[in-house]
Amino acid sequence: MVRFKNRYVLCEVVSEDPRCRQCIEDRAVGLAVRDAIGRVHGDYGLACCSISFTVKYLNAYTGTVLLRCRKDSYRLLCSALPFVRQLESRNQRYPCALNTLHVGGTIRTCQKFLIQYNRRQLLRLLQNCTNEEERRCVQKSLLSCSLTEEQSQSGDEEDDGSPE
Amino acid sequence: GTSKRIKVLTRLTLVVSDPSHCNILRSTSANIRLFDIIAVFPKTEKLFHIACTTLDVDLVCINVTEKLPFYFRRPPVNMAIDRGIYFELLYTPAIKDSTMRRYTVSNALSLMQICKGKNIVISSAAERPLELRGPYDVANLGLLFGLSESEAKAAVSTNCRATILHGETRKSACGIVYTVKKPRKVEEEETTLPAFKKAKTQA
Repeated sequence: MVRFKNRYVLCEVVSEDPRCRQCIEDRAVGLAVRDAIGRVHGDYGLACCSISFTVKYLNAYTGTVLLRCRKDSYRLLCSALPFVRQLESRNQRYPCALNTLHVGGTIRTCQKFLIQYNRRQLLRLLQNCTNEEERRCVQKSLLSCSLTEEQSQSGDEEDDGSPE
Repeated sequence: GTSKRIKVLTRLTLVVSDPSHCNILRSTSANIRLFDIIAVFPKTEKLFHIACTTLDVDLVCINVTEKLPFYFRRPPVNMAIDRGIYFELLYTPAIKDSTMRRYTVSNALSLMQICKGKNIVISSAAERPLELRGPYDVANLGLLFGLSESEAKAAVSTNCRATILHGETRKSACGIVYTVKKPRKVEEEETTLPAFKKAKTQA
């Protein structure tokens, strides 16, 4: 069957500055990644990767980004991600780093991975909870983590209770 | 879930540009025993040969910030691989600056042609926390340096572990006799207990 095969790369934006969260938007991240590919792989690499390149999903609260590219050029994209050093938007620059979590062939596999990953992060947050109130909130979100098929279709990838 | 504590190891990097600098390694001084990993950074061809063949080190650092003054030759590199010495490449200069990137890639590729991707460890020389990259990303950087996919993954995981074990054999008599410093380090089950559980059992 002739069909375009894509690769979805799930990454996380790591930064020290809390104001960087507001700066995380799809256009800024897309530009930063394209710029890094251009610096590392040159014009050829940039052209190869930008055939079907988009930012599919973005969560500013947790810093999760889902990128899409063609299967033939995902290696160029993945090897250029460590070279992203800053995000720029509205004339503000924040130093940051991208941490690759998972590469999958479909959005569904990346979603499943993200749910497991967030569950583990919640458990870790639970250990570091200082307040009883926070502890109860986190425990409630942990217990509501198990999804059924219908719920997962509604695009609910974040289960830590934060609004999308 | 349970998260194991991060083990912080100590490491000594000797920058040698003269054969007399290597004497510190031959004399079994007490200072050397304090470090878990010993690395050497040779600046000349002769010192590279000495480091690969006779010196008692765990890592040989490869310069990435400037053009190599010497070419790698096959005999010392093969001897180093047989002795269990690993070659270390740095990746943070490549992230910071584009001329460093060129030197990093060219030096790494010339090393790959000789050693065929064996015994490579990739590490960062990060000065700030934002210059660190996750393990998946570092393995992808290994692809840029000419490693194959499995070699790049090994460069981040199994080779590093082997280097630590190689450093430990220096403390014991060739890995046969172990001296126990604290009871905590002997059993591995104890270190996997999370912190709060450990406090309960000790209290």
